[in-house]
Amino acid sequence: MKTPDPATISSIQSPATDTSGMSLAFLVLRGWLGIRALVTGIEKFSAKIMVQQPLLNADGTPDASGAIVEIESKVYGFTHYHALPASLQQKFADEPLLLSWLTGPFYTILGYVLVALGLALLLGLFTRATLVGMGILYMVLTVGLILIGQDGGVAYLGIHIGLVAMALALVQHNRFTITRS
Amino acid sequence: MISPESPAESPDVSPAEVLAAPTPPALCTRRQFLQTTAVAGAALMLAKPGRALANAMSSTELRIALIGIGAQGRVLMDAVLKIPGIRFVAVCDIWSYNLQYGEKYLKKNGHPVKAYTDIEEMLGKEKDLHAALVATPDFWHAPHTIACLRAGLHVYCEKMMSHTIEGARSMVKAMRETGKLLQIGHQRRSNPRYIVALERLIKEAKLLGQITAANGQWNRAVSKDLGWPPKYALPADVLSKYGYESMNHFRNWRWFKKYGGGPLSDLGAHQIDIFTWFFGAPPKSILAGGGMDYYKGHEWFDNVMVIYEYATPEGTARAFYQVQTTTSAGGGYFEQFMGTEGTIKMSENPNYTSIFREANAPEWEQWVAKRYLALTKATAAAPEADSTATKVDARETAELVSYGLPVVLNKAIHQPHLENFFNSIHGKAKLNCSGDEAFVSEYAIHRTGDAIDAKQMIHITPDDYKV
Repeated sequence: MKTPDPATISSIQSPATDTSGMSLAFLVLRGWLGIRALVTGIEKFSAKIMVQQPLLNADGTPDASGAIVEIESKVYGFTHYHALPASLQQKFADEPLLLSWLTGPFYTILGYVLVALGLALLLGLFTRATLVGMGILYMVLTVGLILIGQDGGVAYLGIHIGLVAMALALVQHNRFTITRS
Repeated sequence: MISPESPAESPDVSPAEVLAAPTPPALCTRRQFLQTTAVAGAALMLAKPGRALANAMSSTELRIALIGIGAQGRVLMDAVLKIPGIRFVAVCDIWSYNLQYGEKYLKKNGHPVKAYTDIEEMLGKEKDLHAALVATPDFWHAPHTIACLRAGLHVYCEKMMSHTIEGARSMVKAMRETGKLLQIGHQRRSNPRYIVALERLIKEAKLLGQITAANGQWNRAVSKDLGWPPKYALPADVLSKYGYESMNHFRNWRWFKKYGGGPLSDLGAHQIDIFTWFFGAPPKSILAGGGMDYYKGHEWFDNVMVIYEYATPEGTARAFYQVQTTTSAGGGYFEQFMGTEGTIKMSENPNYTSIFREANAPEWEQWVAKRYLALTKATAAAPEADSTATKVDARETAELVSYGLPVVLNKAIHQPHLENFFNSIHGKAKLNCSGDEAFVSEYAIHRTGDAIDAKQMIHITPDDYKV
């Protein structure tokens, strides 16, 4: 049996030379955080509306009674933009520390910021700065949840913050980017 | 002068024949009728109305009169104004207060009309009417309807057909004699929500299994008698001429036996009609209780509880109905059909409508996919069939899973029934509640009063439903 070359064994076992795994780990993390932000942002432009259409027979013709059925349908558009569910927004409005001259503009840009951050991460645009911005956004959201006593939500955002921190720690392994930073 | 008693003669027809019989076909206007009669003979035309005539009507604007401009007349007026191709040309009411309102309202909505206080004068002068809507007090329905039918008009008459069985019967006879259309205002019969519930959910999908029971109710809070502006009080001779004892009787006729049928008739008739329609048969027996227990100075029962028994193709089914005029509690107004596999709770108000699946029934996903049913928040929140979380007694059945009815009526609730009437005149539809069909349904409502008076179950034979 042929004995392996010691140099070959060393190159396989040495973590110092295995950068592809770290790159893949970061790529997965970057992708997840990007999708999380992008889709969450897009959803802020969605709404469920009731759409009316004729009740159809098996052959596709309208029912003889002329019956119209109302079906819930999900649609997207700028006119449907909402930063937060109305009930949550009302709770924030009742908090004296959340000043309306601050929350108002924040609500206005939240969906757009999430979309921009998500796209930037996925495309590899200014990755490090994007991750920092994302961390700041999640921290800001955490403030509101602490004030209204949503401890579950705070923990949930804490996981996001942890992932962002991990990504910043691994950002040196960033690959497949448009910008280098 | 037209009087509240106008009997007519016609061959007997059984209720089964009535339910199966085709509606008299659409004919033509009085003027067309007279012109055609001169050429072809009225008898031939009444017996076999030509397709050409019906087709000729299909492009004609229908000219109609409204007789009675009280609360219900105004509801009909508003619904008709939303239907293209219909033109009001005359209104009739003995009360100037109503008459002025109707005349001004219609003019404002682009329908200048001639106003009459006397129906005979109106029918004598308005020679080119196609149809009339009758929304006068119940005891005038028969004479007004018969006068219009005999004048060659198709008639849409509000329910109840009459305050007496004989009055209703005379309307059916006149309808058959004249060959004109007579639609009775049980408007749920044209409501697509009800049609889909019956035709799709019950008959096609058989979601309820065997329907063994039904219940319905219309509970309404205490209300005061209607008043009137003193300057508009009708003179005693006018009241007497039209059969009223007093202005109070004129305004509150629904509570007095010689004018109307009381709450069971005013409210219950719509829902008891749904029992007959959905079961496909009128009641074979009635057990009822009721009384004048709250209001003073009225004649009709202010509360009634009834059990109707039906011989359906699947077996006997019983329906409980109650009308209360002293409380609005109990969940509004609805008609609920309960079967071995499911229940449909119907109401004109969609908020009171639900469909429930028994835990042991087959899954209903396919009917959701076909849009016969809608998933609701209540559907999602339903516990598992074997869940004991909400039970306090081991013998309890699991909570039923609730679905919605996705069909919507995006029109005034009377509009589809009126459209069906007008389309039938054009020969494009069959009446959804012709006079003879309504008679079968309303007969049992009249007999409910007899059951209350007799304080025992009364039985109705198929012959009783014949006209």
